[in-house]
Amino acid sequence: MTDPEKYARADEDILKAMEKPGRAYLLGLGVTASLAVGGGLLWAYQIRNGLGVAGYTHPVNWAVYITNFVFWVGIAHSGTLISAVLYLFHARYRTSFNRPAEAMTVFALMVAGLFPLIHLGRSWVFYYLIPYPTERQLWVNFRSPLIWDVFAVGTYFTVSAVFFYVGMIPDLAIARRRREGIRKTIYAVLSLGWRGTGRQWRHYNMLYLFLASFATPLVASVHSVVSWDFAMSLLPGWHTTIFAPYFVAGAIFSGTAMVITLVVPMRKTFNLYRYITDDHFESIAKILLLTSLIVSYAYVIEFGLAWYSGNIFETELFRYRALGHYKVFFWIMVACNSIIPLTLFAMRLRRNIPYLLIVSLLVNVGMWLERFVIIVSSLSRDYDPYAWNALIYRPTYVEVGITLGAFGMFFMLYLLFVKTLPLLSISEIKEHL
Amino acid sequence: MKALLEKKGSLAVLLVIAAALLAFVAMSPLAGRGGSLLLALLFWGTVVEGCIAAAAAGTMVNARWVGSVKRELLSVRPLLLLLAFLLLLLIPFVDSYPWAGGPGLWLRKDFFIGRNLAFLLLAYVTAGRFAAAVEANGETKTVRAATYLFVFVTSQTLAAFDLVMSLEYPWYSTLFGGFFFIEALYAGFAVSAILCILVHGRPPRTDDPDARSSLSDISVLMFGFSLLWAGLFFAQYLTIWYGNIPEEVSFIAKRTSVSPFRELAVSVLFLLFFLPFPALLSTRAKSNPYVVTAVSLSILSGILVERYVFLAPAVRLNPGALAVDLICLLFLFVCVVYKESGGTPLDA
Amino acid sequence: MIFDGKEEFVEALRRLVGEGVPPERIRVLTPFPLPEVDRILPRKRSNVRFFALIGAGTGTITGFALTILTTLSWPLIVGGKPIVSIPPFIIIAFALTILFGSLSTFLGFLLLSRLPSIRNIRSKEEYGNRFVILVEEGPTR
Repeated sequence: MTDPEKYARADEDILKAMEKPGRAYLLGLGVTASLAVGGGLLWAYQIRNGLGVAGYTHPVNWAVYITNFVFWVGIAHSGTLISAVLYLFHARYRTSFNRPAEAMTVFALMVAGLFPLIHLGRSWVFYYLIPYPTERQLWVNFRSPLIWDVFAVGTYFTVSAVFFYVGMIPDLAIARRRREGIRKTIYAVLSLGWRGTGRQWRHYNMLYLFLASFATPLVASVHSVVSWDFAMSLLPGWHTTIFAPYFVAGAIFSGTAMVITLVVPMRKTFNLYRYITDDHFESIAKILLLTSLIVSYAYVIEFGLAWYSGNIFETELFRYRALGHYKVFFWIMVACNSIIPLTLFAMRLRRNIPYLLIVSLLVNVGMWLERFVIIVSSLSRDYDPYAWNALIYRPTYVEVGITLGAFGMFFMLYLLFVKTLPLLSISEIKEHL
Repeated sequence: MKALLEKKGSLAVLLVIAAALLAFVAMSPLAGRGGSLLLALLFWGTVVEGCIAAAAAGTMVNARWVGSVKRELLSVRPLLLLLAFLLLLLIPFVDSYPWAGGPGLWLRKDFFIGRNLAFLLLAYVTAGRFAAAVEANGETKTVRAATYLFVFVTSQTLAAFDLVMSLEYPWYSTLFGGFFFIEALYAGFAVSAILCILVHGRPPRTDDPDARSSLSDISVLMFGFSLLWAGLFFAQYLTIWYGNIPEEVSFIAKRTSVSPFRELAVSVLFLLFFLPFPALLSTRAKSNPYVVTAVSLSILSGILVERYVFLAPAVRLNPGALAVDLICLLFLFVCVVYKESGGTPLDA
Repeated sequence: MIFDGKEEFVEALRRLVGEGVPPERIRVLTPFPLPEVDRILPRKRSNVRFFALIGAGTGTITGFALTILTTLSWPLIVGGKPIVSIPPFIIIAFALTILFGSLSTFLGFLLLSRLPSIRNIRSKEEYGNRFVILVEEGPTR
């Protein structure tokens, strides 16, 4: 097959995904959309009745919503990692995953950004967090980790949206060429009239290199800032120096698992075996394994040093985490995050795609539970023994429903993406054909 | 010189002489209580294990640069044996650790020396197996690289928590171990850069903006690690600063409120971040041998000064003994690398 | 000149430059970036990098200025921290460095590559996966 034929086939194969949807797709969209709507209705109910409908019991005033916030920001991370970091390292296999991963980043951040608002008692005054000149001349408190979050997550969302869009410009020009009517006009406008001249490519490559270099330290900083929401407090189990790198590794771990969860079905549905090979999955599985090991290292260090320190509060907290009210979650977390991924040392299992999908689903569960365990167990075992066993926090149906709604919203946005935008980076694929 | 070194057993003789010299210095009344030996052991432990770890990490990800300096990086293995011997010389010194009066399950003399010794020897064994696999260019080399990296991470973590952190018992920081092994890798890349320049000379000058030399690849890694180092440093500092708990800040306060530690602590920041980062920012500087050598030396000296700042407020160091220890090890380091250098580069 | 294959295109381009056509007058359109083009038609490196540098610098300064000046304008001790607490402000300055740096790089790219271009959005002319060389009128060297 000659080169021109290969190019044409790449256009054809990848843009085919954007054709009229089938019944399974519509069913999926319906299910996810109704979950999202359900979550929205529950949020409305919570706004109407107040935060009491969530299961908060003093001293556990951060729970499922904050868990979701941390989880979704974490999911976002691997998108930037796969796109930017692998770009800087000239890793070939990035081409098969970068577009879905970047889309995932943007959508996960949209979902994540909602949770601090859901968690607010009066969601409608969220703009107090934004620094702007007011007649009261009162500014936000820049020494508060919550403001750092606003800056870090806001920057992250903006930069990853730009990165996502910039990567898509040449492909939108291809979509423009191959579509008719109103859709042609839309893609033409979105592609900004891209022509692919020598000069455009030269500037484009430089832009891409810089965006990748900016995004890489940004990834590390964002989840560090999220971890500092906890580490800046004085709570046992939260106030610890390893939190920043530990959270970053955990974020990449869960994000990589989510990429696998999304790309395996996508490859099957749209028959993209030619562009996303088992070798590529094997490389991604190695990232999953590496980050799993880092996360396990952090678990060991946390427990080990709590014991080393001889500090009674730390020791008690970690005993409680493993053996207390939330022990079931803790042990599921250990199994999913530290033990099951170890099987990926076997090359045969790394290349077994159904097995990889199962592992990645379990890792998603494990990482969600990790955040839940960190947040809830520390809060329910602080310095005040009176509160220890008085009331046990349990999530209510509102919290569970809103969590499901968040998953619904995320998958709905992703489903919309695969039908409207080029789902792989076509021009990069041609470059490497 | 080279012919002399290549004679069979000459290296072993050299190692034994060095061991005897170091033992004499450590035993002599001049050395005080062994703080100098501890510093030499920590610094060279970081550098030696870091060199092999850099080679192993490069092998695992199939990095192109690693082929050009792998032989030299792996040649430092014998020094691990010497370092294990130095650890034995430290046995009397362990009595001056604050926990020595009331040992526990973890912090007790025999286990303390035993586990650190075991991991140094294990590092030697796994590094040897890795080097053999590289020499044979066998399939097993990635597996053995991974094995070495496990031992490396554990060994550096133990060095951080046991040898350094327990000097300030009950102060602790969970990031300390991770900080140490990242620094060791950082040092490994710095040594790789110097070796790359010494062995291969300046990279060919091209007008092609996309051409990448081994040196510029290593520079990119050093650049990235300078940022990573700054991030880890900041994560550690910020948590302790913000928490402001007396038992935690005392560690920082001791090292930033009195001269000369204050000045040295600031210079560490410069040597490890504020110099390397801007110096390597431009693409052209990344393949300029002078800039890269300067940056590498800055990184290595930054790590040495940092180890000093960690130790000095807690132990007594004798400058004379320290100088003898460091120079002796530096001489050996140069000898082992020089002996191996100049052979055909091992391909990645 | 229009080519279907990459090799013929690169060959023709090389020949054209060899014949003495000044590189400034040659324009190429390709479906993906070709490193060979940069080698044959040497141009200075893209100025987008200066936008990145200026944007990042502005971001750092803005970050520190915003935090320090606003806390000084209403000095209130919170959480036992100094009024001007540099460590937390570094985080804000860092975020703004990245934000301003990325946005200014993006704007620089749009400006230098003449995008968005209304004419090209409306144009029906498409070359698709083909490689095109356009030579402007003018004397050869």
